[in-house]
Amino acid sequence: MNESTVVTEQKLGGRSGPFTLASLLSRYGMLLVLIALMILMSLLTPTFLTADNLLNIVRQMSVVGIVAIGVTFVIITTGIDLSSGSVIALVSVVVATLAHPGEYPLVLTILAGLGIGVLTGLINGTIIAKGKIAPFIVTLGMMTAARGAALLYTGGRPIGNLSDSFRFIGQGSLLGIPVPILIFLFVGVVSYLLLNKTKFGKYIYAIGGNEQAARIAGINVDKYKIMLYAYAGLLSSVAGIILTSRIASGQPTAGTMYELDAIAAAVIGGTSLAGGIGTIGGTIIGALIIGVMNNGLDLLNVSSYWQQILKGAIITTAVLIDSRKNRRK
Amino acid sequence: MKKTMFSALLASLICLALVVAGCASKGGNAESQAPAQASGSESGGGQIHIGAALPDFSDKWLSYLQEGMEKYQKTQDGVNVTYVDAQNDASKQLAQIETFISQKVDAIVMVPVDTVSAVDIVDRANKANIPIVVVNRWFEGVDKAASYVGSESITAGVMQMEEVAKLLGGKGNIAIMTGQLGQEAQIKRTEGNKQVIGKYPDMSIVLEGTASWDRAKGMALMENWLNSGKKIDAVVSNNDEMAIGAIMAAEAANKADGMIFAGVDATPDALEYVKSGKLQVTVFQNADGQGKSGLETAIKAARGEQVEKNVYVPYELVTKDNVDEYVKKWE
Repeated sequence: MNESTVVTEQKLGGRSGPFTLASLLSRYGMLLVLIALMILMSLLTPTFLTADNLLNIVRQMSVVGIVAIGVTFVIITTGIDLSSGSVIALVSVVVATLAHPGEYPLVLTILAGLGIGVLTGLINGTIIAKGKIAPFIVTLGMMTAARGAALLYTGGRPIGNLSDSFRFIGQGSLLGIPVPILIFLFVGVVSYLLLNKTKFGKYIYAIGGNEQAARIAGINVDKYKIMLYAYAGLLSSVAGIILTSRIASGQPTAGTMYELDAIAAAVIGGTSLAGGIGTIGGTIIGALIIGVMNNGLDLLNVSSYWQQILKGAIITTAVLIDSRKNRRK
Repeated sequence: MKKTMFSALLASLICLALVVAGCASKGGNAESQAPAQASGSESGGGQIHIGAALPDFSDKWLSYLQEGMEKYQKTQDGVNVTYVDAQNDASKQLAQIETFISQKVDAIVMVPVDTVSAVDIVDRANKANIPIVVVNRWFEGVDKAASYVGSESITAGVMQMEEVAKLLGGKGNIAIMTGQLGQEAQIKRTEGNKQVIGKYPDMSIVLEGTASWDRAKGMALMENWLNSGKKIDAVVSNNDEMAIGAIMAAEAANKADGMIFAGVDATPDALEYVKSGKLQVTVFQNADGQGKSGLETAIKAARGEQVEKNVYVPYELVTKDNVDEYVKKWE
């Protein structure tokens, strides 16, 4: 088949593919950075390396982590999704109005939230694929519009009074593990399978490696792009539901700047903005690196001004080390 | 195989989304925009006509500010006020002010939509020799206006911290949660906190960090702080939303008991927390008082009397003792 030929070529070219040596090494490289950071934090403060605190870090990063997984799919195809933070807000206010005690069944509330994410993603994807407009512009538009819709919907005010069953999603635990972490894991596994075990995943790498070649090979690039943005939107809405439940309030200002944290996590995790390269494992590690940094700097009570400078420096350095290592290889 | 399942899932979700979107547009934005209204008697010589430009009639807090103006207007003879709603659109506000100027009103009261374009609006009023009084939202260059009426951010920080100091008996470890770095309210409220802490040798700041006014970020910051091993006696936050986030984090970790939490704003959510005793202190910005003083100052300016450059309306401390009074204000 033509399609698989292209995919194989991409892999042989060392540009992509989940199982090539390059991507394994790059994943391993960032894992080392994560471990080094954790050792550093443990040395600097005795309160870092406790089971409580480690669970805390993963729980805190699950919202951004889930968004980052969605954005990894997008970035692999050389796209970008700037709308995730605003979609979180829109989902947040809508599910909060549906989640008042005794109003709608929980399942319906969740499906409605997910539906909004998918819908915004479909709009993004359709305009990008069919309108041939740069993803940066399209998702920037959605970022602005979705935030506006969230503010309009609530008149700028937060929405409270959420049912206990809804609160369980963000605040509850199963077998001692916080529910957000379980959802994060589930999303991670499903996304890993999607990216590595399905035609959908293969085509995404192919499109990212060389969109023209993918088209010539007969891949319906437009269709996969639309699906891809819909999936990113779906994951943003999952994140929005968790966030809303966690803070027990639907907030039109929720999720501000989350899109940038998510993109940073994906890029730290080895996803290349040039397309064709990126793994779910890498992105999760990227998200954890950001989480460890945030947490460690808070534990050490580093001034907020310095925190921003340090975070910027660490992100850039990590990616720099990673890219040099890849180049040497 | 998986692909078809994926598409089927997507398709079903889209249908659902459309249904929900339909419901949402019905439910949302129910408040209709009130038309601009002119009130007051129309007849008589020596009438004073004042134009009041407000950012958003649907905003609850601002509606109290307008009520404060209306109440004060009723006590004044021969004062005619036109209220206009910019619907949070800075260019609309500019057009409204231009209309006021062409109508040659005697004075303008403005709560700016946007504190950047406000400078230009003040300029236009000045050029037309119409005194303009800026209310509530301070900006760089506000001194060009005839007067600024509002509350001083630093006072909120001082009041909030003094109450916390009282509750702690003048000693303890304080964690300060600040708003978006670089904003006037963040800088001044924090400065107010620190002024008070400086007066008590047994009180110290053990932690300080920003949560950008956001509940989720306040919660995450507090979770990290709770794991820092430092003893925290009070969390003093630049606003209520972050304080609520901190309370939720402390409750989830079973560490909220005996900890003092303080916010600013007295939002409806926060008042619930004050009522249930979880949030000990918040600070109310007096909308009614700002509206009244704003109009009072504008009338004086219209009559050509000397007005104060800065009129500060005091904040009010909200604790469990007086919370019901404030709950009523939001109803």
